[in-house]
Amino acid sequence: MKDLIRIRSLISADVESLLNQQVKKEATSSSIYLAMASWCNRNGFDYSSEYFFKQAEEERQHQLKFYKYILDMGGNAISPDVTGIKQEYNSFREVFEDALDQEVSVTQSIKNIYARCLSEQDYVTNEFLNWFLKEQREEEYKARRALELFEVIGEEGTGNWEIDKHVGKIKYDSEA
Amino acid sequence: MVTTLTTPQTNTWADVFATAKGAVYQSDADRCWYVDFAGKVAKFDYRCLLKLKKAVYNVNIEAKLLNVKDPDVEIIFICACDHTYILTLLQIIALKELLEGTFVMLQLNSILQDRLYRIAV
Repeated sequence: MKDLIRIRSLISADVESLLNQQVKKEATSSSIYLAMASWCNRNGFDYSSEYFFKQAEEERQHQLKFYKYILDMGGNAISPDVTGIKQEYNSFREVFEDALDQEVSVTQSIKNIYARCLSEQDYVTNEFLNWFLKEQREEEYKARRALELFEVIGEEGTGNWEIDKHVGKIKYDSEA
Repeated sequence: MVTTLTTPQTNTWADVFATAKGAVYQSDADRCWYVDFAGKVAKFDYRCLLKLKKAVYNVNIEAKLLNVKDPDVEIIFICACDHTYILTLLQIIALKELLEGTFVMLQLNSILQDRLYRIAV
């Protein structure tokens, strides 16, 4: 009896389902960042708005990477529904707190897929996920650094204006 | 693709898993499975078999058992497959058991193929 399932797809149904959930998560992230870009722009934080536009685009690229990987491996990539995106924030700081929460959630989700792949010896997907794990180092660093600016600069006086200017300059260039 | 056939051509089909209520066969030539259940034999390709599994597993059997007003009819509709099952709760339980066994056997087959033919030792 032929192994018809393996012939049809490199990834298991469980991994395929997890990857599709990640597609949705990345799409949600992209939409959240877009909403943040809008909020910052409306409230006069132009550098942060630009920063979030870039983040939204990056998340969209991550979504497509997962999407195309599922298809390339013989799976069924599902275009996700994205609804219920928060549009309003109570403060400038809250935007960045939510951004860090979002990145932590993405990292945890990728770690969970990685663990699942290890348990079923799907090293091919593990190798694919390595790029994302490295990417999450940068994403979490940038989100954490942005929040750190609120501590080191402070929000008093022209603090928020100063923080906004510095958000645009955040870079992660670790060679490690 | 799902096709209803009148008689199972078991001579070219390999037994995958069977219970008292039904059976699943695999056809290597057609690269598909035949599910003999609820009085008919239906052909399922890889995608449709996974969709059938998902549809059956998603039925909340416990909630239906506890609901006294439940009509005891469950429609298993599989998108992009030209086939539908209309089953009672007992049949759902039986179909779930059949599919659980089938996927365990298919996984076992995969492990055996790995050990016998694929992995260098």
